[in-house]
Amino acid sequence: MKILLVEDETALRTVLLGSLKQAGYVVEEAADFAQAQEKIMLYQYDCVLLDLTLPDGTGLDLLRSLKAAGSAAGVLIITARDALDDKIAGLDLGADDYLIKPFHLSELNARLRAIIRRRQFNGHQQIVFRDLLVLPELAEVHVHGEPLTLTRKEYDLLLYLLANPGRVLTKEAIAEHLCGDAVDSADSFDFIYTHLKNLRRKMQEKGADNYISTMYGVGYKLNNG
Amino acid sequence: MKLLATTTRYYLLLAAAMFVIGSVGLYVGVDRTLRHEVKEQLLARQLELTAKARANQLPPVALLQLVLPISRRPQPLGFRDTLLLDEQEGELVPHQQLTFVLQTAGEGPVWVTLRKSLVEAKDLLFVVLSVMLGVLALLLTGGVLLNRWLSGRLWAPFRHTLAALRRYDLHQHQPLQLPTPAITEFAELNHALEHLSQRLVADYESLREFTANAAHETQTPLAIMQAQLEQLLQLPVLAEDPAAAPLVADLYGATLRLSRLHQALSLLSKIENRQFDATKPVRLDQLLAEKVAQFEPLFEARELRYGLDIARAPIVVHMHPGLADSLLQNLLQNAVKHNVSGGNISISLTPQALKISNTGPAVSGDPARFFERFRKHSAASESPGLGLSIVQHICGYYGFGVTYSLAEAGTCHTLHVRLAPVVASPVKKPQQVLQPTD
Repeated sequence: MKILLVEDETALRTVLLGSLKQAGYVVEEAADFAQAQEKIMLYQYDCVLLDLTLPDGTGLDLLRSLKAAGSAAGVLIITARDALDDKIAGLDLGADDYLIKPFHLSELNARLRAIIRRRQFNGHQQIVFRDLLVLPELAEVHVHGEPLTLTRKEYDLLLYLLANPGRVLTKEAIAEHLCGDAVDSADSFDFIYTHLKNLRRKMQEKGADNYISTMYGVGYKLNNG
Repeated sequence: MKLLATTTRYYLLLAAAMFVIGSVGLYVGVDRTLRHEVKEQLLARQLELTAKARANQLPPVALLQLVLPISRRPQPLGFRDTLLLDEQEGELVPHQQLTFVLQTAGEGPVWVTLRKSLVEAKDLLFVVLSVMLGVLALLLTGGVLLNRWLSGRLWAPFRHTLAALRRYDLHQHQPLQLPTPAITEFAELNHALEHLSQRLVADYESLREFTANAAHETQTPLAIMQAQLEQLLQLPVLAEDPAAAPLVADLYGATLRLSRLHQALSLLSKIENRQFDATKPVRLDQLLAEKVAQFEPLFEARELRYGLDIARAPIVVHMHPGLADSLLQNLLQNAVKHNVSGGNISISLTPQALKISNTGPAVSGDPARFFERFRKHSAASESPGLGLSIVQHICGYYGFGVTYSLAEAGTCHTLHVRLAPVVASPVKKPQQVLQPTD
């Protein structure tokens, strides 16, 4: 998986680079509009991670030239929270999804996975994790070949964990993933705990290993093996 | 009190005082002149009589007594005021009299008294005073009328300036534009005001830029902190040390709170700076349904029952989509945050109004102050207390009226947002009224 990361803030770019590499992507970076433009013209990417505010141009123009070149790359735009118009314009121009700064790295992983899944396999993809099989287009989960019935939130939670194998997911990141903006950090995270408890119970009933571990005071982690 | 009324009052007081002094002075002056005149006339007659007596041209005393009061016994000499009966008019009339000794030839000294009526003098005085009073009255009424007329004419530029100041709104980032009136004082006033407003606009602008820049510059370090801390949490060494991970997690949580606070504050300042000009028709009914669906897990977690009552017809409100989202977000968050476990939330949306009620512990304090920034439900609350302030600002921006009310039991809090603008154009301050409910 090859990703182009367009972000002008060096420090942020470095962190994102590290996180994406850790997640197993091949990442190239561009610090400004000109660099990004050049790389888009020269190489093929599976996904472009695009900050809309660049010192020498707007990410929307990059998006336009990307689409004009008929690129197959997925585009995930990153915007400031209040630049809502940019977000809408970006989606209108054919961006696949957007993330609002600041975001959780695990959320970025989940969004990237979803984009690549949709683009590369047209949705026909199976996610296999140890004894677990997920068919995203059918929203079905099987354990040892047996279907597992999950609620909407439990399913979302499982997919989120599967998008970040081996990563610690903070309770804040999970809460935001499940409820969007509705979560205020001041609110209790009880409901994550409840959903996770139910998910674990249902999986264990079907005989799955307990590979979701809890990090007390921090969050949860899907263990690779 | 009006400036005109005040000046007129002083003018009247001064005029009255001047009149009193003037009248007294005039009276005394005229009176003295008249008496002096009468005395001179009496003295002239005395001289005439004395001269005639010396020349022996006087008739005998007996004859003279018919026309002049003459006494053979000594009388007090000199000038005296006296009252004599005027037989024709039948009243006492003031007279001035002069008594002197006349040496007559052969008949010895006699005491002659010459008299002259002062009635003419009094009449004159009366005329003088009447004229004075008349002039004064004319002067006063003339003065008042002139002032009234002048105040209409001369003060017009002042009133114009006043009206312009009342209309003035710093948020429009325009310095005050005032004409230069012909009157120097007003021209100077307008000039000074224009200068002041230019400085205000410049200061405000620089403050606004500072806030915007500060907000922008904080955003990136916050994003970096958040990302780095999240990466730090991934380190295997943390998993081995059960004490270290929660520390980093706390740090991470605090960073998230800081970044939320930052977002809320920059949203508030952007609303204040009117940076949300673009309005679109927003389907508030759909948006509300989406938002409530998003909040459902939170409702569940806190065991809240909720009732959602949305009118069937599409409800379209013209506003910035981001602000519409933020409005509902903050209202719902408020209803969850200040609720009790197992409580209720009821949400109703009609084309006219959005009403969100929630159960919650009774709160003390002035309801109008709930909309203030950093107003916390309790000091221990982790939330910065900006939610209702944002609600109020958004409502104010579109002229929606937002009111808070508390049911009698003290445990049902209602926020009522009137969706129709109060006036056609966006107004600044929303109304904050405590309305009694059932």
